[in-house]
Amino acid sequence: MAQVANLRYVDAMERAANISMTAWTDARPNDRARGSVRLFAAVLAASACLSAILASWLPLQVSIATVFLFAGPHNWFEARYFLMRLPARFGRSRNFFAVAFAGIFILTLAYVSLPLLYYANVWSGSNWPTAIATWNTLLLLWLGALVLMRGKQNSRRDWFWALPVTFALCALNWLAPDLFSLAIVYLHPLVALWFLDRHLRRTRPEWLRAYHRCLLVLPFLIMGMLWQLARAPSLSDDNGLFWRITQHAGAELLPSVSTHLLVSMHVFLELLHYGVWIVALPLIGATGAVWSVRTIPLARHRRGWPKLIGAVLVCGLFLVALLWIGFSANYAVTRDVYFAVAIAHVLAEAPFLLRMI
Amino acid sequence: MKRTILICAAGLLLIASAVFTFGDIARPKPSPEAGKVIFHTGLEIVPDAKVYEARLQISQQTLQRIREATANTSANQSVTQRIMASGPRTIMAGLFMFLAVSFAGVWLARSGQRRNQKIAAGLVLCMAVLGAAAIIVRANAGPPGSFYWKKLPDNLTKGESTRGGLDIEIVPGDEQIKLIVPMKGTKKPGEE
Repeated sequence: MAQVANLRYVDAMERAANISMTAWTDARPNDRARGSVRLFAAVLAASACLSAILASWLPLQVSIATVFLFAGPHNWFEARYFLMRLPARFGRSRNFFAVAFAGIFILTLAYVSLPLLYYANVWSGSNWPTAIATWNTLLLLWLGALVLMRGKQNSRRDWFWALPVTFALCALNWLAPDLFSLAIVYLHPLVALWFLDRHLRRTRPEWLRAYHRCLLVLPFLIMGMLWQLARAPSLSDDNGLFWRITQHAGAELLPSVSTHLLVSMHVFLELLHYGVWIVALPLIGATGAVWSVRTIPLARHRRGWPKLIGAVLVCGLFLVALLWIGFSANYAVTRDVYFAVAIAHVLAEAPFLLRMI
Repeated sequence: MKRTILICAAGLLLIASAVFTFGDIARPKPSPEAGKVIFHTGLEIVPDAKVYEARLQISQQTLQRIREATANTSANQSVTQRIMASGPRTIMAGLFMFLAVSFAGVWLARSGQRRNQKIAAGLVLCMAVLGAAAIIVRANAGPPGSFYWKKLPDNLTKGESTRGGLDIEIVPGDEQIKLIVPMKGTKKPGEE
């Protein structure tokens, strides 16, 4: 009612003064939009800079704190996001999702069982690179299959290039499997930025340009960190936890690189990853109202399962709390267990990202 | 004809005997176990008239690093060494590379689009530029280690210090600490 009255008032004013108010009414939302874009870009750039500073200043401490605080919640937000992107009926994508879920399940199971089999003395440490190379090959072939299947869903796409690229990556993986795994550790956090890009493209196209400009800051931050920390003395990994953190960042594989640089770089990328999943995507509405199950197609559909979805999300919250309790009780062991199991969310990102391309 | 057969038989006999005569060649002596460079640092040689015994000063930080390096000698292999270490892995890599190149060819042939061919040409060009750049930047590499040690005799005569790079190498056996300094034109031990 108020809007109708306002429009009538504006119309009357236009007629009385014989001027067009269109330009004025359009100017206000444009200004607002420009302001919000600027705010978005400023927050993004400031967050990236702050993350780089914190990660470079206190790498081990920040690594411990961020994993403790954000590892669980970011997985919950990711799970919620994926549930939102999951169609209520698979339709033509049935095979795609069947391959995706089978791959996530089998690869996660294999990844988790690798250290268990090692500790059970099923194989010696000398076979470890071969085991890792085999797992990486399965991962690449699975990704290649998903890309080809996704490409076939649109007749205008020819994604056959995925096959030679997959095989070339398999070849690189067999040359240096441990370095290939390390590359996954460093590249995975950047996938979140791709998700944000795809989501902005759909929901806030006017922010996309500013976002891409902000992304240009990242190489400069990385180069700055390399310049500052390349000659920094290595971190003292005299206790089990610090040793685990430096090993996870690749200290053993890259012995000539300062562990300060490695850990800082990894923490910086992880902070970006957590920031996108916990702050950026929920703020732009990508995950819907966090408390509302109705934003999830599987729960909203007339033949859907709202109670099951609600229960899954509540169970997820319990798991987050359990992870915090685990970190409080024995941080080192919980961290190890978490990074082994967390491969599932790394794998789950692939099919959902492909669905958005 | 008979003569030809005899010559051929004699020739074959000669060739076959060559195989057996190899059995008389002494077994090659096993080459002494090569040392392994575990750490690279710097060294400064300082002549001092006040001291009566040669002294090797190592900072605590460097000592700590040497300890770490000796503890992880197996992990300190270069990327190339790691790749060369496993034959089966290299075979698998070759197999996948073969598949990659084959399917890339199939993709180019079946796409038949100028755009894809341009992408392929661009990739080849990029690889060529990277290769050329790798060759060029080698020309800009720093001088070899021997350059810094060249002035050592003169500096020792003048009583001045000399500074240069140093590889710490672990060698088998129980010998004294040995410092090998690169010098052009010096004779190897045992050479006259």
